[in-house]
Amino acid sequence: MRDHAQTEEDAEINMTPMLDIVFIMLIFFIVTATFIKEAGVEINKPPAVTAEKKDRASILIAITETDEIWINRKQVDLKSLRTNIEKLHAENPQGTVVVQADARSKAGLMIAVTEAVNDSGVPSVAVSTKEK
Amino acid sequence: MRKFSKAEEEAEINMTPMLDIVFIMLIFFIVTASFVKESGLDVNKPPPNEQQKKDDDKKNILIQVDSSNRIFVNLRPVDIASVRANVERLHAENPEGVVVIQPAEDAFAGIVVEIYDQARQAGVYNVSIAEGRQ
Repeated sequence: MRDHAQTEEDAEINMTPMLDIVFIMLIFFIVTATFIKEAGVEINKPPAVTAEKKDRASILIAITETDEIWINRKQVDLKSLRTNIEKLHAENPQGTVVVQADARSKAGLMIAVTEAVNDSGVPSVAVSTKEK
Repeated sequence: MRKFSKAEEEAEINMTPMLDIVFIMLIFFIVTASFVKESGLDVNKPPPNEQQKKDDDKKNILIQVDSSNRIFVNLRPVDIASVRANVERLHAENPEGVVVIQPAEDAFAGIVVEIYDQARQAGVYNVSIAEGRQ
């Protein structure tokens, strides 16, 4: 009986190296998790050649072709945009804002949105583009 | 000898529940990880009190877009494709001048971004977007 139990225990795989790797992967994904607040709508972005990658972007604001403003998967109007940005910015103070303006949306609205972002105290705001 | 090793194995902690939790956390973070990289252009709008001064300063390159998306560089109508050449020429004439884009309320945002991009291609990185006049 004891012999039988002993052979069963010998057949076990050593889990320690796998555990090490799993823990390291876990820590990596916890550290890199940034939780970007997606706007929630598809936008036809204007093309640009001199665009730069924005690494710290955490809040995306979309302006659709029909001049609706979307932030954090909700449609908001221009007046309540500032409070929405302030709320999201408080969650991740290091993140910046990217405005995704549709190529056919109104320029005046885009300027009003960037102004609202500036007023809410976010230091950096960019306009989203696609590669040419 | 066999008895000794048996006693040691019984003292081990059962790792299975912890492993389950760790795996579930791992899967959660892999699934939620979003490596979204947005590319974009920085927008700097002149503060309102500076706006008047910039308009008066004739050295700046003023690009206006009217509500039917026609483009005027220093009040001369130009095509979207020749904005870059115009900015390059005017920038060579006076290198300190900055580019001010003044779109009308109803102009397309895509046009403004394209002009912004073309000004940067022409080597002028000091571009600001001002609120337009009708």
